[in-house]
Amino acid sequence: MTDLAIVTEKLTRRFGALTAVDNVDLRVTSGQFFGFLGPNGAGKSTTIKMLIGLLAPTSGRMQLLGLDFSSHSIEVKRQIGVVPEGMGLFERLTGTEYLRFVGRMYGLDHATTVRRTEELLEFMQLADRPKSMIADYSHGMQKKLALAAAVIHGPRILFLDEPFEGVDALAAGALKALLGRMTARGVTIFLTSHVLEIVERLCSHVGIIHQGRLVAQGSIQELRAGIAGEEGNKTTLEQIFLSIVGQSGAERTHIEELSWLT
Amino acid sequence: MADVAQPVGILKQIGLIAGLRWRMLHNNLRRKQSRLDLLGLIIVGLLAGAFVTVFCIALFASARNFVSSGRPTWLSLFFWAIFLWWQLFPIIVAGFGVSFEFRGLLRFPLSFGAFYILGLAYGLADFTGLAAVCWTISIILGAAAADLALLPALLLVAVLFILFNVALERLLGSWMERLLARRRTRELFFAGFILLMVSLQLLGPLLNRYGNSAEPWLVRALPYFAYFPASLAGRSAGAASAGNYGEFAIAAAGIGCYAVFFSGLLWLRFAAQYRGEELSETPATEKAIRNKAREESGVDALALLSPQVAAVVRKEIRYLLRNGFAALLLFLPPILVFALITQATLFRFSGAKNGVSPELFFPGLVAYIILILMAPAYNSFAYENTGVQTYFTAPLQFRNVFLGKNFVQVALVATELTLCIAAFCYRVGWPSAPIFTATLAAIIFTLVGQLSIANWSSLSFPRRLAFGQVHGQRQSGMAVLVAFGAQILLFGISSVVLGLGRWTGDRWLPAKAFALLAAAAVAGYVASLDALTSYAEKKKEKLIEALCR
Repeated sequence: MTDLAIVTEKLTRRFGALTAVDNVDLRVTSGQFFGFLGPNGAGKSTTIKMLIGLLAPTSGRMQLLGLDFSSHSIEVKRQIGVVPEGMGLFERLTGTEYLRFVGRMYGLDHATTVRRTEELLEFMQLADRPKSMIADYSHGMQKKLALAAAVIHGPRILFLDEPFEGVDALAAGALKALLGRMTARGVTIFLTSHVLEIVERLCSHVGIIHQGRLVAQGSIQELRAGIAGEEGNKTTLEQIFLSIVGQSGAERTHIEELSWLT
Repeated sequence: MADVAQPVGILKQIGLIAGLRWRMLHNNLRRKQSRLDLLGLIIVGLLAGAFVTVFCIALFASARNFVSSGRPTWLSLFFWAIFLWWQLFPIIVAGFGVSFEFRGLLRFPLSFGAFYILGLAYGLADFTGLAAVCWTISIILGAAAADLALLPALLLVAVLFILFNVALERLLGSWMERLLARRRTRELFFAGFILLMVSLQLLGPLLNRYGNSAEPWLVRALPYFAYFPASLAGRSAGAASAGNYGEFAIAAAGIGCYAVFFSGLLWLRFAAQYRGEELSETPATEKAIRNKAREESGVDALALLSPQVAAVVRKEIRYLLRNGFAALLLFLPPILVFALITQATLFRFSGAKNGVSPELFFPGLVAYIILILMAPAYNSFAYENTGVQTYFTAPLQFRNVFLGKNFVQVALVATELTLCIAAFCYRVGWPSAPIFTATLAAIIFTLVGQLSIANWSSLSFPRRLAFGQVHGQRQSGMAVLVAFGAQILLFGISSVVLGLGRWTGDRWLPAKAFALLAAAAVAGYVASLDALTSYAEKKKEKLIEALCR
């Protein structure tokens, strides 16, 4: 039997009358690089927030690494790493102080925390600004630091909400290599991104959420085969995404009505 | 071809911003949390309104009395009081002040003129400014009630005086923010404060020894105060009352000059902000590097705490020291206490008949320190911003977060109390053993009792505050209300217990009662931690939403 890292059953979240996530059944196998896609407001961030414990589901179940989240939240959190929306940084600490803080919060001993902090700062090319407050970092630097904090304790699942947004090409290349190595070692990566090319290049499997419902899930090859038939091999993820989710934004906004802009 | 936006006039821009604020208030009221916040603000506002009204009536009556009895220049005293209130009070109570951050408006195509006027207008829109304006108007109306002919002249003086004060207050706040934003100047600033604190201790002996000989110097210096705006305002009232319009014009022009001068300086400060001045830390000094080396040596000063609590403690201490304005507020209570002790020793305690008894003065000082220093604990996540998410994604019980935060709070209060008690004992002498013991037990009772309530309040009524800023801060209305309520309750109980001791004649009764209350408070605190962990889980969405917006 396949080892499942993330399982959700009828996961639902309502905000008043709005159902942001509607009966989502996710299956993510250990070691998968899973891309979670959807248009704006589809329910991606709500789903990821529930999976990392920032939001309580209205109904449904979540199992991470075989543990029920609601009854084993501490054990689950110990084994996951998170780059949440907004990055979750304490902006008035330096990068070093922040990584040490996170290391200790995840229960690492002092010596390990110090060593890993230095290694991560070096890897993320943040070591040359040890005295700067995080508030003074550029957006890309903050993203790299948030990613460093997410992996400092060696998580088994990594949740990344738009991890490459604002990161320069050089650093993005290094990060992709790091994430690739992590999945090779069995770490599961759950990633959301609006840049479909990145998802297509990195992820082996994707899930597509639209209006709160999971409308597609599987490997990219499976989705290609399902959507495009015999010409599947030439279909890009963007084409698959658009064919599942609907018409392109350009078609829907009736550009001719915005003549004052064009 | 795309259109180009047409320039918008200043009045139109101000109107748009007023509309924006109204829409924001209106839309915010859709949330239960915001409605509670508004309710809290209304209740606090009513209390504050009563406070302002009482002084308005007193000032009205006194001003009318001064003018009708031929002493209009005595109005200077009131103008001095208003001046000191307007310039000092915002610093002391910035955490409670209702004021609005306006620099965010810069993302709109706002003209500098509109930005400047809005900046001044926002300066009048906080409690301190509103109260001061009300009091100034009360003085003018009181004087006019005695002599209606004075009204036009005094209105002119009032307008100039208000303009001067609002410009100076905005300017001082802005300078202080700039000063405290940089580590080096912040350190110098705090060093200056500590020196001032120590110097105040020397003030008493100096006045005792040289007080009589210094008096003539003081009398000779007094006339120079006549050239300050508050004195000029009183002089102009006197001149107008005597029909000496030449002297009135000179005095009023003097206030006008001050107003123009400080408005000009404020213009320069706002111009820097308008150009996009960014306040941030400069690189750390060598000290930070030495600290780093010490940390890496493996010596952990917080080894007795669990790693997670220790991590929160370290983070809290760093935040406290880097949040220049919050740190500055920590220095104020001991300074005021030291000044009070110095004053008190000048009057030489000789028992309750000749003044305040040291037996009451000692617990009073302690109560004051706790009252001021505990206020921020009621919104303890104010500066976390998006970082608060870490507490919920990390594998920890939320009780550890509270333990870390409360540890720093208690350590801080304990340090300041120790300093103040030491100063008291050195300058005044030890209080009696029953009072000393009772006060120590009362400290534990009020401190721990407040922590339980403050932790609950921090989860229930969170509000994000801007780091290191004097202006643009507004506490949650409900948090302020809870803080007031808790402090009134706990200090009320303490007063009753002390009163019982005096009434029954049993000097050790308060100590025994406070020991019991302290034990109950500690037990309640320990019991509350698990309940708060569950409560945090329940409130996490609102907490994150309030702090990450």
